[in-house]
Amino acid sequence: MSQYAGSGPTVFDPMTLPVDDNVNKYTFCVELKGSQWFLQKGKMIAYYGSMEFNGIGHGRLDRLVRTSFHSPLHASDWVVADGSGKMLLADRAFDVNAYDLEDANMTIRSGNLLAFQPSLALKQSIVPGFLTLIGTGKIVAASSGPVVFMEPPIRVDPQALVGWADCPSPCHHYDHAYMTGLMGGLRAMTGIGGASGEEHQFEFVGAGTVLLQSSENLMPEQATGVVPHEPGVPGGGGVRTGPSQQAGAPRLPGQLGDLQRRFGL
Amino acid sequence: MFRLQGSKVLAVDMTGDAVKAKNGSMVAYDGQMAFKKMTGGGEGIRGMVTRRLTGEQMTVMEVRGQGTCWFADRASEINLVNLQGDKLYVESSNLLATDAGLRTGTTFTGLRGASQGNGLFTTTVEGHGQAAIMSDGPAVVLRVSRQYPLTVDPGAYIAHQGNLHQSFQSGVTFRTFFGEGGGEAFQIRFEGDGLVYVQPSERNTIAGDV
Repeated sequence: MSQYAGSGPTVFDPMTLPVDDNVNKYTFCVELKGSQWFLQKGKMIAYYGSMEFNGIGHGRLDRLVRTSFHSPLHASDWVVADGSGKMLLADRAFDVNAYDLEDANMTIRSGNLLAFQPSLALKQSIVPGFLTLIGTGKIVAASSGPVVFMEPPIRVDPQALVGWADCPSPCHHYDHAYMTGLMGGLRAMTGIGGASGEEHQFEFVGAGTVLLQSSENLMPEQATGVVPHEPGVPGGGGVRTGPSQQAGAPRLPGQLGDLQRRFGL
Repeated sequence: MFRLQGSKVLAVDMTGDAVKAKNGSMVAYDGQMAFKKMTGGGEGIRGMVTRRLTGEQMTVMEVRGQGTCWFADRASEINLVNLQGDKLYVESSNLLATDAGLRTGTTFTGLRGASQGNGLFTTTVEGHGQAAIMSDGPAVVLRVSRQYPLTVDPGAYIAHQGNLHQSFQSGVTFRTFFGEGGGEAFQIRFEGDGLVYVQPSERNTIAGDV
């Protein structure tokens, strides 16, 4: 056992790995004892024991999916880990944190969510690109830099938002300068004439917690399509403008569309 | 004597001895140092030819002198490895520095290398001394023993040492082709006795999204 002592800071084995806790800031360890966890594809980096990873469509998982997974758009990104042992999760060397929910709800940007316990139910948030988890259990999510917790009322930068818990969904907030005619639009579009780049925020009100990451570094998200076109469904059947734009994301201010509207085109 | 200054800079204290380091990785030094490029990883003509043939290329310099020399590469996290006669297997791109007394070479890795997308060959470091390896995010060191074999994602694997047997596992089933794969289509299983280093990030591998 002592043969390799002194190499690296700490050597972990299945006995010394933590149970459902962080190994370090960037790696999270999950213990499975015949239990199951949902995890996003490709976030498992290593495991001890015997485990199986099955896609959401696997027939054996029907019951589980029926109670805990309600997002067809994200089904192809998620798998269920099944078995016993300890498994390490990590994501592009981003900070990883776990959140415990007790009969509560939490909404997280879909690209930041790594894993959750099936005692929670996953649903698509009405805000495109976000997923809501409802119930009791543990969530593992990544962020670029440590997470900061804020309380509403607050306005946040869209790129810094990781998610929110318990409070109502946010609304868009545009600064007054944006609405003052053609010049406002030109300014925002070109950056000439003192656009600070902070004219558009998400505004939260009500009781709850808002989670922010300490950088405006967004994680690339996988295109997941859009919700079906139905009357009354926001973001439904929208036209995708490019692969980089999140599904149904609010159009950034200053994009040409805004100017066109100003001209009444 | 290797030591870490922070987690991304390696400081080496030298008293007339030498270290081999990745070419161009010196960021500062104190005292008297001589830097000499070593052709073919300093493994002689045979090593040079092998590296050229296997594509496991490594440009190495020898640093010799009195004082302290600091090394870093693209703000990667650095992990120290102590070798006591055993062998370290590491990708040449993840190897930052070794004691000059350690022997380096190349070895065939088989399917593991292919699944990682960095070639069929890997670098070995052998002997008594210290080596520094780099990772994207601090590496987690996992012990493999007889009763606890370990399975690793090829994209997160960076190095291993000791007496380990590795085998390649494929989770590819008919479901994979319907886009219903388990997301972890290729895995490496380590059995035996030793240590495996994994990084909290995945390289893009052939099977990245399967």
